[in-house]
Amino acid sequence: MRKLFLLATACGALQGCANLGVQPWEREVLARDDMQLDVNALDTAFDDHIYFSKEGTSGGRGFGGGGCGCN
Amino acid sequence: MFPDVTRVVRFAGLGVALLIGGMFSAISGAAPANASPFDLANHRGRVVIIDFWASWCKPCRQSIPWLNAMRARYGADGLDVIGVNVDVVRSDAERFMREVPIEFEIIYDPNGELAKQFKVQGMPSSYVFDRSGKMVQTHLGFRNAKKAENEAALKNLLNQSIQ
Amino acid sequence: MANKDPGIGAAVAAATCSLLGTATPGVSVAADAEPKWDIESAFLYYGESDGRVKDLSLSALATRDFGDERKLGLDLSVDSLTGASPSGAIANSSAQTFTSPSGRDTYSTPAGEIPLDNTFLDTRFALNGSWSQPFARLYTVNAGLGFSSEYDYQHIGANFGLTRDFNQRNTTLSAALAYAQDTIKPVGGLPLPLAQMTDAVDDEQSPGNRGDNSDSKNVLDVLLGVTQVIGRHTLLRVNLSYSDSSGYLTDPYKILSVVDPVTGDLIGRTPAPGASGPTGVYRFESRPDSRRKEALYAELRHDFSGKVLQLGYRYSTDDWDVDSHTLESRLRLPIGGSSYFEPHVRYYQQTAASFYRYSLANGALPEFASADARLSEMSAVTMGLKYGHVNAGGNEWNTRLEFYRQTAKAPNEVLIGNQPGNTQMPDFDAVILQFGYHFKL
Repeated sequence: MRKLFLLATACGALQGCANLGVQPWEREVLARDDMQLDVNALDTAFDDHIYFSKEGTSGGRGFGGGGCGCN
Repeated sequence: MFPDVTRVVRFAGLGVALLIGGMFSAISGAAPANASPFDLANHRGRVVIIDFWASWCKPCRQSIPWLNAMRARYGADGLDVIGVNVDVVRSDAERFMREVPIEFEIIYDPNGELAKQFKVQGMPSSYVFDRSGKMVQTHLGFRNAKKAENEAALKNLLNQSIQ
Repeated sequence: MANKDPGIGAAVAAATCSLLGTATPGVSVAADAEPKWDIESAFLYYGESDGRVKDLSLSALATRDFGDERKLGLDLSVDSLTGASPSGAIANSSAQTFTSPSGRDTYSTPAGEIPLDNTFLDTRFALNGSWSQPFARLYTVNAGLGFSSEYDYQHIGANFGLTRDFNQRNTTLSAALAYAQDTIKPVGGLPLPLAQMTDAVDDEQSPGNRGDNSDSKNVLDVLLGVTQVIGRHTLLRVNLSYSDSSGYLTDPYKILSVVDPVTGDLIGRTPAPGASGPTGVYRFESRPDSRRKEALYAELRHDFSGKVLQLGYRYSTDDWDVDSHTLESRLRLPIGGSSYFEPHVRYYQQTAASFYRYSLANGALPEFASADARLSEMSAVTMGLKYGHVNAGGNEWNTRLEFYRQTAKAPNEVLIGNQPGNTQMPDFDAVILQFGYHFKL
């Protein structure tokens, strides 16, 4: 599990994933509201609270990335 | 009562090391194209800003009104602005223009060919040419905080005569 | 999704003015007319089957844009909880009586039913504030503070995070740290670990099985994440998180039934003469004072012709031996230009904690034990549908209805005597109904 993650981050930091992305002018879909990682933020917050109260594990979602890539 | 600090530090240290390593990694392709692949013959003797924009680019809602204002203020002194739209779907651009009117010339580049020629690094991007047709400035992104500085630079270029 | 369309009239006027070569008044202030507040508000109802927990919640999440990507977030919510939840005691062939959490009253459970303790009518307030801004072109930093308060529980926390973009913003690395301090002050004081439930006492006396009035717990969370753009239509996120809790982690209201080690039957008890109290031997639970969790979370977001599929998976493991898998998916289906349906499905399963017990065998006590079904072997399914509509002003109202079913199981190793095949777990169904309004000011 940890090795997989290290590989992914190393890939990003060393630009080994450069051919996986898109050009800066090709982000029309990624910029849409429904493609953002934090769309449905309130729903997610409610759900996390419910599942935290009713189940044994919680959390892990995080933040950041995607979007229009502007500025 | 305190958490096991060594384990946490090792874990967090991993992340910090990666971020610092990233800080030193080269940002790819920041150098602008030197030769203008664009026929600016019609604009010889004028200062030209070529601005790449799109309907999905949020900062463009700030940069375009500013470019409108620059064009209005300095058009008579020799400033031209050309907006290059990279929307794939024309109606998206048109909807944007109903919300944010554009008061300068627009070129449509739906296949991104012009963007590729200019090696656009991020949206929005603008390229400034002096009166001799030489590219002298590149702006990556748009910041309200830099408006005054950018305007001063434009005034400078407008005051220069053709070399 | 929300589009502000000021109308054709304004556009024609602007176009005409530009043709005439005059600057349209108000064009250069278009930037100032951009909405600065983005507010999501919602009302939520959560209700479990069989007279169990019901929750009503009101929430608002407001984001204020200060320009140049500097944002302030404010999150306020109010929760009102009623109903009963399983105490951890097991059902019995005859009626049972228990002393209430305050130690001063009693309550009863009919024969054959899983005992539910009277959860107090409780209201919870929570407030979170956050700030995020870029520093240097490819970095953003964010920080936040959180606070929540209810009758017997208070939480205060702070978080800090950093992101850095690579590969022309196709790759984003993020790191975050959060620290929280919670204080618990249960009704009746904190029960001593595994202490036996005693007869009800009146106001002047103390129940005799309580320790301090309050205690605290600290939680440290660390998160590392990668977000990677994979083509024009796809986004992938992978997070690794680590959580370390220490302090008072026990649920002061949960108990275990003590049973005969051979038959597995409840050990009967008679309250003292003139007193009312438990009709069986019950003990308060006790959990370790530390818990370390690690989780891997991966989420894929993929667009295909305007429909968006979201697929998420989380694996979590901890030193209480609770290992879980969560698989969740949403599919956003646009209808016409301004509405959408979004079906949602979630599957969850976990293993039991190492100290989970269905009941306690009379005799030597283990160091830790809990009969809380939330720590048992368990699986749950959620199915729901959300509908949203964007009105002419560009604001969205939405509603969602979800059904949740949880099924728990006591692992065979913890069953005693003739309990195998005779267990009754507090499974339940719940309904989630939400109404929301998302608007910009």
